[in-house]
Amino acid sequence: MLDLNEIPKKVYETQVWRSIFRHAPWKDAPRDRMRHIVDNIWLHLHPARIRPRAVKVSYSWGLGGISFMLYLILTVTGVLLMFYYRPTVELAYQDMKDLEFAVTLGKFLRNAHRWSAHAMVLIVILHMVRVFLTGAYKKPREFNWGIGVLLLSITLFLSFTGYLLPWDQLAIWAVTVGTNMAGATPFMGNEGPFSGLLGMRVNNDVRFVLLGGTTVGASTLIRFYVLHCVLVPLVAGALMIVHFWRVRKDSFSAAPLEADEQKLDVWPHLIVREYLAAALTILAIFLWSVLQNAPLEELANPTVTPNPSKAPWYFVGLQELLVYFDPWIAGVLIPNVIIAGLIAMPFIDVNPKGVGYYSLRERPLANVMFLSGVFLWFLLIFIGYFCRGPNWGWYWPWESWLAHKPLPPPTWDLPAWAGGALMIFYMAFGMAAPRLIGGEISWSRAIGAFAAVFLLAAGGLKIFTALAAAKLLMLGLFVFIFFLLGFLFPQRYLKGLDLARYALTMSLILMMLGVLLKIGLRLGFDIKYVLSLPQFNFNI
Amino acid sequence: MPGEPITRRNFLWVGWSALATFFAASAAASARFLFPNVLYEPSQKFNAGRAKDYPVGVSTRWTKLQRVWIVRNEKGIYALWARCTHLGCTPNWFNDQGRFRCPCHGSNFSPDGDVIAGPAPKALWRCKVELASTGDLIIDKAVLEDRPGFREGHVYFVEV
Repeated sequence: MLDLNEIPKKVYETQVWRSIFRHAPWKDAPRDRMRHIVDNIWLHLHPARIRPRAVKVSYSWGLGGISFMLYLILTVTGVLLMFYYRPTVELAYQDMKDLEFAVTLGKFLRNAHRWSAHAMVLIVILHMVRVFLTGAYKKPREFNWGIGVLLLSITLFLSFTGYLLPWDQLAIWAVTVGTNMAGATPFMGNEGPFSGLLGMRVNNDVRFVLLGGTTVGASTLIRFYVLHCVLVPLVAGALMIVHFWRVRKDSFSAAPLEADEQKLDVWPHLIVREYLAAALTILAIFLWSVLQNAPLEELANPTVTPNPSKAPWYFVGLQELLVYFDPWIAGVLIPNVIIAGLIAMPFIDVNPKGVGYYSLRERPLANVMFLSGVFLWFLLIFIGYFCRGPNWGWYWPWESWLAHKPLPPPTWDLPAWAGGALMIFYMAFGMAAPRLIGGEISWSRAIGAFAAVFLLAAGGLKIFTALAAAKLLMLGLFVFIFFLLGFLFPQRYLKGLDLARYALTMSLILMMLGVLLKIGLRLGFDIKYVLSLPQFNFNI
Repeated sequence: MPGEPITRRNFLWVGWSALATFFAASAAASARFLFPNVLYEPSQKFNAGRAKDYPVGVSTRWTKLQRVWIVRNEKGIYALWARCTHLGCTPNWFNDQGRFRCPCHGSNFSPDGDVIAGPAPKALWRCKVELASTGDLIIDKAVLEDRPGFREGHVYFVEV
């Protein structure tokens, strides 16, 4: 009779096993658990013992670990796909078709690679939201938060470079639009403002380096292949090492120390949760890849754009943003302000409370503003993904794209003097009002007063102009959001901050709300640009 | 002091600075390496056939192959580059609506190339057109103009 309990014991006693795992026979004592971590090249990234809070699933949700697991899945599936994929214009699309129809498991591996990439973008975003909401970016973790923000940008850039490789219609047009944004960079892009100062032309600017030519073509494909498969993963790996090292140095959890807190053994308490999360991640990707195929559109055609042409979901918000602003503002300035603003967050948020646990009450301003920004970003994604149809026209999600839509109405610009005055007033008033108006404002009375003023103004507008009720309501809603987030919140929670931090925080808030207000002005009132200075490509 | 032997510390400063300069120069040289000197891209010039064959209106005959619309009005012919001035997608011509509409961000253009709606900041580019002695239209997408007053004449328009 075969005794299943005897086999492992026999194996553990062999010289071969002992040569690989060198600790003495396992007795499950604290010392064994410690040795198991520190004697293992992979596991010793962990400390041997850890604060109990760090293993609590409902605190971290395992999101960082899941992101890393997805990165590993992407590495494995990506390396396998590289055995068949040839990055040339003539062969790339053929190889995609081969992977789909002729290679054993080719379709599955491509699905797994694509869906892991989508999942990784989502999970990395959620990880950032989690870290923000628990205030875990504050001292001493400012630097690691910055590394994390860079890792999020790199995750997006990896997805972007990967998108070109199938060489289908989605690929070529997503990359055409994306690299044209680079071409609109101030100073360094040939279509951007001040391009003349550095003598930028179509064949010497930043877009030219990215493309390896003047249009998306053979040289672009090989450049993106090298970036996607070698250079960017190496940079991501290096940053991940720093990120994990710092997480460990900062003892895994930002939670406040509890009285007589006893540390737990990492083996098994943390390791079992990590392995379980990894296994569930693999299972989810596996099922998703069996059930749904990754899309592959027609062969890339550099002259014909699909109608409508939509970026993948995580970029469709940016694509929608490009509808409302000049390319260099929506495509270069705003993303960079978001990244810089996020990195600066630990240095401008001096609130010492709410570190290491979820609390809206102790961090009202930070959490509300951050969640508003995330909400705005996903609102743009929702509009781009579900509300846009042929010719990028507005179609409600339940409307057929075959429905005949009236032509988009002509748009109009405010005259430069009015636009300029409005912008200056917006920034000056928005900056000054919350700080200069002292005292406690009762929110219920303020909102009541707002409602009264709005009703009066709406009545007046209704009588003297031909504005529809829906537009008046929309106007009221947008102005109310500004009143609440741009005035009441900073007036109560921000005005005590020192001037530099106040100005920085307030300008980030005003820019975020400005984006929302501009969307409302375009969609509701057909205003193309509030301020248009064509000689500087300044169109916002 | 002149004549004083250089100290070990200063000697090392010079050495390490030289090495740092070398790395900086190498980085700059590698960046230059990434700008190709030769491009293997198709010619921007093409023969669009006999000018007389184009009826009044917007012709999409060359859109798929050359990304150009040939537009004929009462006086003559001009060529619009079918690249949206916003972010470079190819708009579609809608004959019944009399406008070009871009599928990427919804810019609309008139047959003159002027922006009617959507985010595009500038009018469509017009290409250089020539009438060959054979009566063929020669179009050059490398020579472009978009300013009103300039784009209607000179080399951007041929009377037919």
